[in-house]
Amino acid sequence: MVKELTGISAATPSIRALARKHGIDVDELALELEQDRVSEADVLRKVNGGSAPSSSSGYWDVDHTQYGSGEAVPMSRFAQLAAANLTASQQHIPAVTHHDKVCMDAIESFRKTLADEGTKRGIKVTAMVFHIIALTKALQKFPTFNASLKPGGKELWLKQYCDIGIAVDTPHGLMVPVLRGADRKRIWDIAEQLSDLAKRAQDRKIKPEEMGGASISISNLGGIGGCAFSPIVNPPEVAILGLSRTAYEPVWNGTGFSPRLICPISLSYDHRVINGAEAARFCAHYATLLSDPRRLLL
Amino acid sequence: MSVQECDFVVVGAGPGGYAAAFRAADLGRSVTLIDPRPTLGGVCLNEGCIPSKALLHAAEAFRTVTDLDEWGISLRKPKLDLTTMRAKKDSIVSTLTGGLEQLAKKRKVSVLLGTATFSDATHLSVETADGNQILCFNTVVIATGSRPVILPGWPEDDPRIMDSTGALALREIPQRLAIVGGGIIGLEMATVYSAFGSEVTIIEMADQIAAGADEKCTRLLHKAMQAHGCTIHCNSRVDRVETTAKTVSLACSGAFDGTLEVNAVIQAVGRRANGDGLLAQNAGLQIDPAGVIKIDAECKTGVANIYAVGDVTGAPMLAHRATHQGKVAAENACGHKSVFDTDIIPAVAYTDPEMAWAGILPQQAKARNIDHQVSEFPWAASGRNLTSGAKPGLTRLVWHKPTQRLIGASIIGSHAGELLGELVLAIEMGATIDDLALTIHAHPTLSETTAFAAELAAGTCTDL
Repeated sequence: MVKELTGISAATPSIRALARKHGIDVDELALELEQDRVSEADVLRKVNGGSAPSSSSGYWDVDHTQYGSGEAVPMSRFAQLAAANLTASQQHIPAVTHHDKVCMDAIESFRKTLADEGTKRGIKVTAMVFHIIALTKALQKFPTFNASLKPGGKELWLKQYCDIGIAVDTPHGLMVPVLRGADRKRIWDIAEQLSDLAKRAQDRKIKPEEMGGASISISNLGGIGGCAFSPIVNPPEVAILGLSRTAYEPVWNGTGFSPRLICPISLSYDHRVINGAEAARFCAHYATLLSDPRRLLL
Repeated sequence: MSVQECDFVVVGAGPGGYAAAFRAADLGRSVTLIDPRPTLGGVCLNEGCIPSKALLHAAEAFRTVTDLDEWGISLRKPKLDLTTMRAKKDSIVSTLTGGLEQLAKKRKVSVLLGTATFSDATHLSVETADGNQILCFNTVVIATGSRPVILPGWPEDDPRIMDSTGALALREIPQRLAIVGGGIIGLEMATVYSAFGSEVTIIEMADQIAAGADEKCTRLLHKAMQAHGCTIHCNSRVDRVETTAKTVSLACSGAFDGTLEVNAVIQAVGRRANGDGLLAQNAGLQIDPAGVIKIDAECKTGVANIYAVGDVTGAPMLAHRATHQGKVAAENACGHKSVFDTDIIPAVAYTDPEMAWAGILPQQAKARNIDHQVSEFPWAASGRNLTSGAKPGLTRLVWHKPTQRLIGASIIGSHAGELLGELVLAIEMGATIDDLALTIHAHPTLSETTAFAAELAAGTCTDL
């Protein structure tokens, strides 16, 4: 910290005086908050809230060895960066998650018909490709989902392009490369680029310009399992779509139960920009597009 | 002998003392200010900062006149009238000390002319023209300052051997003048006397003049002083002094090994804290062998209700440090919470050109292993400097790399002391490279060099 290293205080003279009035040492507070500087707000938070300052590092400052043996393993730089983004998202975005189900029967039967051609082209068309296409269509109908809040919260920036962030699980942590111009691409192109991005993410070969600036992101846990989750919005985006495992479920058809291939979807959204009814409509529209893929042509 | 009941007593009416007295009065205390001088202001106003700056102004004006030829302005060779100059200097001093008297009156501070000593931890004995007075106090602030160090074994009562006070009296301009000590005071006296025609020789024990200042700026100052005709001997000392009716001869050793024959000598080897002579042990106070009273950040001495501020508490012996401490002491004595909590104390040498610095200098950052970056802008590339006489100049900024914050600054050049103010504030406010680089500085000004130096650190400078 600055004071330790240079002898120069972490706060301005007026903030030091304020802190002194309350019996607070700003340089100790800087260490506690793990900050280079201490603001007036930090001091007042310390005065009013006592031991729960913004970073609450105190909660984690525990001598674990008193409970048993263990080992400290460093967090990668990558994981630390992701952690900062995730924390910022949770602190600043009033997010709500809306759950829905999408019937994938029609997509699945269409997808199977592409298998041969796919083998010839050396491209595997996954269900994810259709999710991306459906998402681009849904964004066209619901422009506020393809938006970002401007600082100060007085303006909404509506994006006139459609780039989809793809959350990828890699050995070194979570990465979100972006598939640019997804609304202008064909099934084969999307399939090819999707596998390319996924592979390069695994190898840590994603270029900086291939990250950031997405319209919306997709996090697909379908390959692993689960029936619902609450993805965290990747700021400054306003929504993220989570996909869980697609599986057969009995669905009442009016006279009896019939097996339907169901994909559970979880849409987390920034409630400052999107209200609940809109999110429900968005999901319903999305489900319609995939349950009858002809509608993707409309 | 009657005992006079006093509430808040300040011993010493210099910048630390009067600040403590006035602040305490403003906070509702009944204040008595004691000083042996008939005028307020201490060394600073009476025989230090203020008269020296008056003479330095005169010296600069005198030198400027002779520099005007290249501008096509020819004046007659300037003549010195020391009597008028002394009177002018003295009138400036009395304006300021008179102003202080008004400020004291306005606050109903009673001023007592005399010399105080401690009887015990609640009583002072004051020797005045009307005899001894005993004061019983609730609170006392010791602000007795410092005095020039007198070299042992030197002849006493020889008017040709002066300290800074004697030098500022400006009795005459000696043809050949030796200055022992190349610190700020010695350098300022060299600036004055060399401008008025003395052949000045500076003898300094350390390996550089202005010890403690930035090494690179100091090298520029060294050259500038030589250009003014000063001879500078670093790594040298005076071993013996002999006087004859006509000359004073100094036998020197070290880098300069020889005898210097001069008409006068100024001793400027430092100042000694005035902690002794107060009989402070009667109050239970400890005075160290250097005459210093130790204090904490609240200006407390360790004895209840006894505070100390300014030069008497040790280095750096600077008026602005004393003033701030005076306020801290007064506020604490009045139940406020106040601390002297900064190491960022600016220093200015009013040489020609001026040199000013604050915070952590490059050599200190290096010695303390601070991860830092230095950026500097030479004034040879400053339009404002070139259009106003083109004195040597350099703005050097020291940045803490991990946080990009400004941690130190050093400037040599015209008005360096004025320019430093922005940088001291920047350090205290935690300003970063971009804060300074992105703040618009007017063109053409000398303050631009600050922004340029920051831009150099940011890699965005287009003026070099």
